[in-house]
Amino acid sequence: MSKNGKSLWSMKFNTATLVLIPAAIGINYLGKLFAGALKLPLWLDSIGTCLAAMLAGPIAGAICGAANNIIYGLTMDPISTVYALTNIAIGLAVGILSYKGFMKNIKLSLLTAIIVGFVAVVVSTPLNVIFWGGTTGNIWGDAVYAWALAQNMPVFLASFLDEVIVDLPDKIAVILIVFGIGKGLPKSLIALYQSGDTIESLDD
Amino acid sequence: MKSISLYEEKGSLLNKLAPESKILYIIIALLLPVIMGSRWVSIGFIAVSFFLLLISKVLRKTVPILSISGFVLLTVVIIQGIFRAGNVTPVFAVGPVSFYKEGLMFAFEIVVNVLNILLSFCVLILTAKPSDIVENFVRKGFSPRFGYVFISVFQIVPQMTETMSTITDAQRSRGMETEGNLLVRIKAFGPLISPVVMSSLINTRERALALEVRGFNARNKKTFLNDEKKCGADKYIQLGMLAMLIAGIVWRVAGWR
Amino acid sequence: MAMSTEHSKIIVENLKYKYLATDFLALDGISFSVEQGEFIGIIGKNESGKSTLCQAIAGLVPNFHKGAYGGRILIDGLEVKNVELSELCKKVGIVFQNPFNQVTGSKLTVYEEIAFGLENTGIEKQEMIRRIDDAMELLDIAKYKDRNPFDLSGGQMQRMAIASIIAMQPEVIVLDEPTSQLDPQGREEVYQAVQKLSKKGITIFMVEHNMEKIASYSDRVLLLDGGRLIDFDTPQRIFSREDLDTYGVEVPAFTRICKELNLKNPGTGCYPVTLEEAYDLLSKEKREM
Repeated sequence: MSKNGKSLWSMKFNTATLVLIPAAIGINYLGKLFAGALKLPLWLDSIGTCLAAMLAGPIAGAICGAANNIIYGLTMDPISTVYALTNIAIGLAVGILSYKGFMKNIKLSLLTAIIVGFVAVVVSTPLNVIFWGGTTGNIWGDAVYAWALAQNMPVFLASFLDEVIVDLPDKIAVILIVFGIGKGLPKSLIALYQSGDTIESLDD
Repeated sequence: MKSISLYEEKGSLLNKLAPESKILYIIIALLLPVIMGSRWVSIGFIAVSFFLLLISKVLRKTVPILSISGFVLLTVVIIQGIFRAGNVTPVFAVGPVSFYKEGLMFAFEIVVNVLNILLSFCVLILTAKPSDIVENFVRKGFSPRFGYVFISVFQIVPQMTETMSTITDAQRSRGMETEGNLLVRIKAFGPLISPVVMSSLINTRERALALEVRGFNARNKKTFLNDEKKCGADKYIQLGMLAMLIAGIVWRVAGWR
Repeated sequence: MAMSTEHSKIIVENLKYKYLATDFLALDGISFSVEQGEFIGIIGKNESGKSTLCQAIAGLVPNFHKGAYGGRILIDGLEVKNVELSELCKKVGIVFQNPFNQVTGSKLTVYEEIAFGLENTGIEKQEMIRRIDDAMELLDIAKYKDRNPFDLSGGQMQRMAIASIIAMQPEVIVLDEPTSQLDPQGREEVYQAVQKLSKKGITIFMVEHNMEKIASYSDRVLLLDGGRLIDFDTPQRIFSREDLDTYGVEVPAFTRICKELNLKNPGTGCYPVTLEEAYDLLSKEKREM
């Protein structure tokens, strides 16, 4: 979803895009709450960031990801602030891919999901190693980590596997949900975030 | 309306200080241990944060924050204590599993580091109002439009959580299953979240209009209804902390260790 | 409130507008002019262009929605299209349907919420406080000043939205169905607030489905259909038209009764539109009998 005369890397946000960011952060938060309430083994806490990136571009997505974790850090879990880096990367990746048409249909979306999943893993793994010695706090992921260490694998590789187990299914679910929501949005709304500055004249 | 902010006004010294002083505190609490290369500095800051939170009467409010990370820290201790490469010196055993000194020491460092981060952040987030933090930044030149983005999250999230509980109740009364096996629960997720997502996206249009007609994009210098949050001690506290930071750097560079 | 009374005349000339991603004109060649202090009711069926016209007067069409635009609107000699929204909002205020979406979401109290626009436009603190107090007084919401904006009822929230606009001291206020999402009590609260505004000499445009209110408040009524201006006249003349059904307009109850009785005001040749008018006419008729 793209075009309308607005450059991919524009830093000039219209008001609608700025208002989209808090709403997207709220959506992230709700996703997390529902996933918790339904006891799903996924986080589902980046739906809003991915939506914002798809609708308003990579920079908006990145800002949304950063603001999301800073605010989360200021309200619940200070450590999560450092994972702002991961969410910035997710926002950028989804924004660029969707601009290139990778959210057009379900097959391409699945590919987007896998790419985004790996982007998240690559950014998160060093953070996990620095702050937690490589674990994620997710039982399944950490079981793999423990197994990998027991096989004498290096910490980085073990941590990478730990994160893949946790992140990849999560991002696939998130991107497919975002794809579904995007299909249901009115065109006029999508145009709102992407409109440029031009007003056509109807005068004779 | 329930707030997501953990801030509480207790009339304490920390409540009165400018948010910048507390942000500076976080910065030195996290930087000095790295600069000086000693975990004792971290332990010192943990003690200072603990003391500050105690005299501000907000120590109890750290419990939910600590418990979020507490579980992860526990897994860190277990996994590193048992599996860490280089584990050679057994300390104790639980049944057939032995814990090793090297792994436990490594886990201990992680615990100290995480505790330092958590408690120094608590000094800020339990004693400063989010809107004061952002407003002070805007006064110092941060974009008011992005300032809006930050502040509004604190209002909009509780708003959406309220809508969510309404929807959950409605879907349940319509007979949607939210319990049962994994597949049933995964299927429940979409219908639960999509109405809120749709409505909050559609609402952004009207909110944007409402902001526009209230001068949101005005280029003139903004004024403020509320006075700046600061007190007389702030200047000295900030200078003192900067001095500590510089002293730490000098100490390291001069190689007195 | 001090207001320049001399030039604030609103002139709309051959206004045309098409939204982005649509292929029909939402406004199609509309022209009219309005004097300072007039109360203008806007009526017509759904999608007839009422909201678009409202947003055009406030400059949101075309400066927020973009799209394609023709003709012009002059307020005090200023061409709306060429003025930035952050400037125009000092002259023209607009209140929308949904009170909830008009809350900025960045303020913790009603008092601070009303200050939002004043802070943005750089009003000095003392002046700000004076204006907020005045606006809260006028809208009768001073008692909620320390409440969280989201904790108000719909009617209270809508009055807060109006107060937020009033505090900016515009010369023109546009109300786009301000009561359609409120309960009966909330509606009544807002109607009373609107009447107070009108008495202050502010030019008002109001879209409203309650024709009794339109009839009793309006100096003149704009009837729109399919983006075109069908008629612009006094409520008496508009509601005496025989073709109102085609425009989806329901006639006020008193007018309907008088139509049935074929009771016209001999002075104007129109049916009465309010209770008072109908009453006067009937009592006169009685005396003559």
